[in-house]
Amino acid sequence: MTRTTFRIGVMFSTTGSYSVVARSMLNGAQLALAEVNAADGPITLEPVVVNPSGDLAQYRALARELLSSGIRQVVGCYTSSSRKEVIPCFEKFDGLLWYPSHYEGFESSDNVIYTGAAPNQHVLPLVDYLASRVGARAFCVGSNYIWAWENNRIFREALSARGGTVLAERYLTVGDTEFDQVIAAILDQRPDVVFNNLIGTSAYAFFRAFRAACRAQGIDQAKEIPVASCTLSEPELKEIGEEAVDGHLSSSVYFSSLSSPENSAFLQSYTAAFPDGPVVSADAEASYIAVKLLAATLAQAGSDESRLVRCAVANQRLLAPQGEVRIDPQTYHAWLTPRIGRSSTDGQFELLLEARQPIAPDPYLVQSSPRFATSMRPPLLRMVKS
Amino acid sequence: MTFRLLQNFKGGRALVITRRAGWETTLETTLAKLGVACDYPEIIDGRAQLDVSALQPERDILFIDGDLEGALALEVNPASKLPPVPVIGLVGVEAPSRLKALVNLGATSFLRKPVHGGAVYTALFLGINQFLLRTDMYEKLQDLESRRRGRRAVIRAVVSLMQEAGLNDDDAYSALRRDSMRARQSLELYCEEFLKRRAMPPDTPDRTSSVTLRGGNKQAM
Repeated sequence: MTRTTFRIGVMFSTTGSYSVVARSMLNGAQLALAEVNAADGPITLEPVVVNPSGDLAQYRALARELLSSGIRQVVGCYTSSSRKEVIPCFEKFDGLLWYPSHYEGFESSDNVIYTGAAPNQHVLPLVDYLASRVGARAFCVGSNYIWAWENNRIFREALSARGGTVLAERYLTVGDTEFDQVIAAILDQRPDVVFNNLIGTSAYAFFRAFRAACRAQGIDQAKEIPVASCTLSEPELKEIGEEAVDGHLSSSVYFSSLSSPENSAFLQSYTAAFPDGPVVSADAEASYIAVKLLAATLAQAGSDESRLVRCAVANQRLLAPQGEVRIDPQTYHAWLTPRIGRSSTDGQFELLLEARQPIAPDPYLVQSSPRFATSMRPPLLRMVKS
Repeated sequence: MTFRLLQNFKGGRALVITRRAGWETTLETTLAKLGVACDYPEIIDGRAQLDVSALQPERDILFIDGDLEGALALEVNPASKLPPVPVIGLVGVEAPSRLKALVNLGATSFLRKPVHGGAVYTALFLGINQFLLRTDMYEKLQDLESRRRGRRAVIRAVVSLMQEAGLNDDDAYSALRRDSMRARQSLELYCEEFLKRRAMPPDTPDRTSSVTLRGGNKQAM
């Protein structure tokens, strides 16, 4: 059989503040590339790997460089700010970005295939879980960019609709690790739960500092003020360290502790290929899925021209480590299986809850958000002079 | 009524007044992602076949192609300048005359042709919410205008009560205000009715003195 070779871009920030997750994403992509190239299929993928180092200007420059060299398909980006930075370039060159990470939704570019979770697949299941089993008074912290702003907004609206309250929201610059004031405010308010949208080194520092501050006040943090996230993954648990690793809630479509033949095979191959880590994350699995789906799509389309790839990707299916995954032809997002896990001392997540089957992506929350935005209510009582 | 921002457009219907040429596919597929269905009223002899009186502001959104001259006779409220449903202008030729025509039809946002998928959510969000905001502001203006017209009745009622009960103007006003709140009426409407009752002959059964002339520091909600 004649094999066709396609050059593809692979763009992850393997250095910088969120490099731990990004390196696991690169590993996931490289594992899938190796499997595709070793298989007896009709295509060979030739990756061109670039590292923007978490710098938005570098993302823009490298995306342009890849696309202007003739590459049309790129797997990459972790933060929403980097994705939004490169989308105009993909639109200009009519390339396709295969974006393998959970994100805050409210986007559906024809030049992006989204293989990570949409908000109805991560934050809404988390709100359901928290409101019914943990508590409905939340304190939100996040890195100061669109992911945290929007994810907190969705969280606030969903929690308010269930009778809950967001006591406060605090944002810190990406990479900031100074949390004294934020932690003092949390301990002052004593919420039922902290909703965390910090990323990278900021998140790891926060988990450590918050656990230590609670311990100093005799508070069992994991039980009394648990931290819930939509980003926390296994390689990040290792970065947090033993002292503060357990008891954190995470809403994700993949945990490496899942029990299935596909996941066992994935873990075995991943560990053998990357013994020095980072260990598997949900985003590594999403990157693996992205490359696998890209390969299947290119094989079907017989071309890497975006117009043909867009047609061929609709309804692509894959039995992935997390279970069945398929691409929604209307939104180019993936059907995925939401799950809630709790971290344990061994750096893994104990599965607490999972959907029975993959659920449809709803990036604009058309099916699952209130018609009107919640607003700050004026006081119900007004004193007037008689 | 308090203005609330509409953020989920599920169940909406976009009526796109244009000659179909292919570019509208992007608009239609993007609207479908937002839960909005598309209809294209037929254009016969340059006129869109659309029953404007059947439009529903809670559901319908008009997308009007500015390059079609007079395709739709849309009656805009002369006082509020508001169309019956939100209007989003589709801009091809960016000439002041065409933009003015769209503004005169009550367009509250615009989309350039050919439509770029990434611009649709913003145009829809802005177009619908500006329409709702302007509707809300117009209702508030009408309410304020009606109250302004009623101020004469308030002045007359205050004077009447001062003469009748020997009160100073502050106490007369406070008594009227308190009683209007008890009656769950605006002060202006309450004063108009108060004066009407005073104008009736003494033996009319409806004539009552409802103003409570007790003092104290009552607080009303």
